[in-house]
Amino acid sequence: MQLRTRIAVTFLLLLATVLAVALTVVSHTNRQNAAHALTEQLQSGDKEFHAVLDLNVRLLRLAARVMADDAGFREAIADRDTETLVSVLENAGTRIDAPMVVLTALDGKVIAASGSRAAIGQTFADPTLFTRRLDAEGNIEPNDTVVVEHGRIYQLVAVVINNPLPVAWVVMGFEIDQKTAKELKDITGLGVTLAIKSGAGWTDVVSTEPGAQAPRSPEETRRIGLPDGPAATVAVTLSKSFAAAMLPFDRLTQYLYWIAGIALAVSAAAAFILARNITRPLQNITAAVDQIRAGIYDAPVVVQRRDELGSLAEGIQVMQSAVRSRDQSIRRLAYEDTLTGLMNRAAFNTRLEEALRAGGDGVAVAVINLHRFRRINEHLGYPVGDAVLKTIAARLTAGPYPAGQVARLAADQFAAFMPLRATDSLQTWGGMLLVRLSDPIVVASQPIDITATLGLARSPADASSADELLRCADLALERARRDKRGHASYEPAMKPAERDQLSLLGELRQAVDKDELRLFFQPKVELASGRIAGAEVLLRWQHPMRGLLGPGAFIPFAEQTGFIRQITRWSLEQSLACAAAWLTAGLALPLSVNVTVDDINDENFHLRVANALARHRLPPSLLTLEVTESGFIDDPARAIAMLDALAQLGLQLSIDDFGTGYSSLSHLARMPVHEVKIDRSFIQGLESDAEFAAVVRSAIDMGHSLGLKVVAEGIETETAARRLTEMHCDVAQGFLYAKPMPRAEFERWLEHRPRVPVPATARTLTLEAAGEDRTRLVL
Amino acid sequence: MSGAARATRHGAAYWLLATLSLAIGDRAMAATVTVTLNVAAASAGPAQDAVVVLDPVGVAAPPAHESVATIDQVGKQFVPQVSIVRTGTGVSFPNSDQIKHDVYSHYLPKIFELKLYAGRPTAPVVFDQPGLEALGCNVHDKMRAFLGIVDSPYFAKIEHLGRTGSVSITVPPGSYSVHVWHPGLAARVAPQPLEVKSDTAAASFDLDLSGIPDPKAAWPWP
Repeated sequence: MQLRTRIAVTFLLLLATVLAVALTVVSHTNRQNAAHALTEQLQSGDKEFHAVLDLNVRLLRLAARVMADDAGFREAIADRDTETLVSVLENAGTRIDAPMVVLTALDGKVIAASGSRAAIGQTFADPTLFTRRLDAEGNIEPNDTVVVEHGRIYQLVAVVINNPLPVAWVVMGFEIDQKTAKELKDITGLGVTLAIKSGAGWTDVVSTEPGAQAPRSPEETRRIGLPDGPAATVAVTLSKSFAAAMLPFDRLTQYLYWIAGIALAVSAAAAFILARNITRPLQNITAAVDQIRAGIYDAPVVVQRRDELGSLAEGIQVMQSAVRSRDQSIRRLAYEDTLTGLMNRAAFNTRLEEALRAGGDGVAVAVINLHRFRRINEHLGYPVGDAVLKTIAARLTAGPYPAGQVARLAADQFAAFMPLRATDSLQTWGGMLLVRLSDPIVVASQPIDITATLGLARSPADASSADELLRCADLALERARRDKRGHASYEPAMKPAERDQLSLLGELRQAVDKDELRLFFQPKVELASGRIAGAEVLLRWQHPMRGLLGPGAFIPFAEQTGFIRQITRWSLEQSLACAAAWLTAGLALPLSVNVTVDDINDENFHLRVANALARHRLPPSLLTLEVTESGFIDDPARAIAMLDALAQLGLQLSIDDFGTGYSSLSHLARMPVHEVKIDRSFIQGLESDAEFAAVVRSAIDMGHSLGLKVVAEGIETETAARRLTEMHCDVAQGFLYAKPMPRAEFERWLEHRPRVPVPATARTLTLEAAGEDRTRLVL
Repeated sequence: MSGAARATRHGAAYWLLATLSLAIGDRAMAATVTVTLNVAAASAGPAQDAVVVLDPVGVAAPPAHESVATIDQVGKQFVPQVSIVRTGTGVSFPNSDQIKHDVYSHYLPKIFELKLYAGRPTAPVVFDQPGLEALGCNVHDKMRAFLGIVDSPYFAKIEHLGRTGSVSITVPPGSYSVHVWHPGLAARVAPQPLEVKSDTAAASFDLDLSGIPDPKAAWPWP
């Protein structure tokens, strides 16, 4: 919740609580007051009702007394003339509007009646009327009561008639009816309901309140029994609903609610303004802080105040500029290569992402690798290396591409990207880059020859994210390096399925452990005589799921992961074992085994080979190790040293894939090799391309001039074989003669075919134990 | 005032003289009966006169002499308020007040009315039937008087009976029924038989005056 809202809400909640409590208390008090007022009103109604009754009694007494003392009336009573008496009674009744006037004997028996249906001679109504009590002067006191006659309610007073002795009672009565109830209501302000006893219950006979509306709860009513006491036959109920009693209080409460509402509204406005006054500067500061967080440092923090908030704003402004300068230096460190001033990988990624997001026809990415840069550092020193790198950086950035699109990714690796139009060729751009880098670099008057390889990829065809695009370019670079080409563009085929690769490594280990690798043999044929000169050992993998796999399916991967050493070790071991077995059986056949750059770079490799030869008691002259030309590129001196050591063992060395690498003739001349193997790509173009033929011829001549045996591989036609024979190529292998075959098949194939004889006196190596895990070679 | 007062005194003297002559005349064979009344429970009302009557049993009452009694009206009151006379006595109702009175009786034994008058009426009212006469004044409701009319000549009045009172009556020896009456009685008091043989005899009554007075009902004769 926002601070402003919180302040305002807290304020309002507090006020609302106070108001609620006040209103609750007032409401509660009002209810109590109303209840109290109601009780009081009912009480006073009771009193007023009784006062009315008393007044009636006095009026009736007076009238009855006057009547009783009338001489004529007394005479009429003595006369016992009923008709006269009735008329007299009627007359008296009309004087005071009393509907009932009855004359009874002292014992209550009716003598004459007006307005009553009482029968003459019967005791009239309530006997308590005729109770004789004496006052202080010895006179009989009048009585009064309330009776019900035929559903009508009468208030009666009985006064004794002295003639001059007490001889009779005159009873006079008012009816308590709707009119009475109405008058009573006018006086008391209360509803009046009259009920008479009927059996065990009561029946309403008169009411000022329409039946359903008359309240019945004890708090809202007051019940008066008439006559007083348990013998009551009439019940008068005074009533007023609590709601009616609440009316004046309700109005008060209503006013209070209005006041509370207005107070809340005014307070809300005040709280809101106050809160805004406090929080607006805070919001400005927050906005400034947000800007800083977003990396925008020039937004002003505008808070013109002299209080704490003003100080805070000032502090944040100071902090903002401090953060800005620090951010700039960090950014420099984080996104720049300090040596060349180029972007580093992180910055390059970011820029590349931005360029990719910008859309357009696409973005081309090149990853550039410098050859043999390590050697420059090692031989000429780091200052020279640094100068080379700076020059490369300058050349790359000088190009016709917008600034800031070149980065140094690693020691000898650069990258560049450029937005491409759809018509632009990736290769053209790569070629331009290569040309730019191809000029010799002169550092301290010393020309340095440096070459570079490019991996190219473009979006959106190859990938859409910076990471992916760079990886594609990396893969293309890898391919270019492997193919010894200046540059290569990414192709989907380059991308190894990652899952396959990961599982492949495990399967490869298993292949060695479970003996799933197979040796295949392809014969080498002496062109001049057609005799079998030997065989090349090739690897196949009898994969449990995928069947028989050629070397292309797992050797490159094994090279990448370094697992190739185990594979080489295995194939060497198996080949030697096979050769030894054949030798024992009287078949002396020279075998060519492929080794890799990793093996050549292993300083103990020659010892391992010697060890194996000795163990299998195989003459070294029967073993030819084939090494690819690329194995000498990184560190030729070291490679040559290893080849020397191997040559000393007496085995044969062959340069594989001759003509595809960069190995210079000077290197070749210094190498202790015995043969070169011309790459199959040359042989396959031999028949169709005169230039290829010329290359092959000069390669053969060069090999011969260096005293090397020349081998051609990939021969598929007789024509090619004839041309090679004409060129005096020494040995050939290919499908024309035989495909690579498993051992048993190869042994059958070999039967009855003439072989180039091998000198019988070939010596074997012996080893002398020189420790647990090392052996010393004895030549 | 002087005329009326004189007339009253004159009447009283006359009545006393007659009684004395009767007693002296029968001196040789006369006894004195003393009747005592004790009020057992008194009412709240003012003490009034009590009446004692000895009714001879088995013998006829001696013939009555023509006699006159007076019930005066003084200060809006009958004086006396209780009178007892022998049957056939004429009662005079002089009005000694300066205002007029209207004396009436609406009930037996004698129904009469002396319409508004002042001074002495021309003739006394003769009460020739025994019984209790309740007298009132039609214009002054509070005026009330009792007039007992008995056949026996032997009666006496105890004036202003308080807690107790007695009276002596001289009668010839013989059998008597002693009756008492008081205006405050609620019911008839049972008569007591009395044999009068020698000089004296006595009778005693307990009166209960606490009830609602019903003078007519209490009158010893129907």
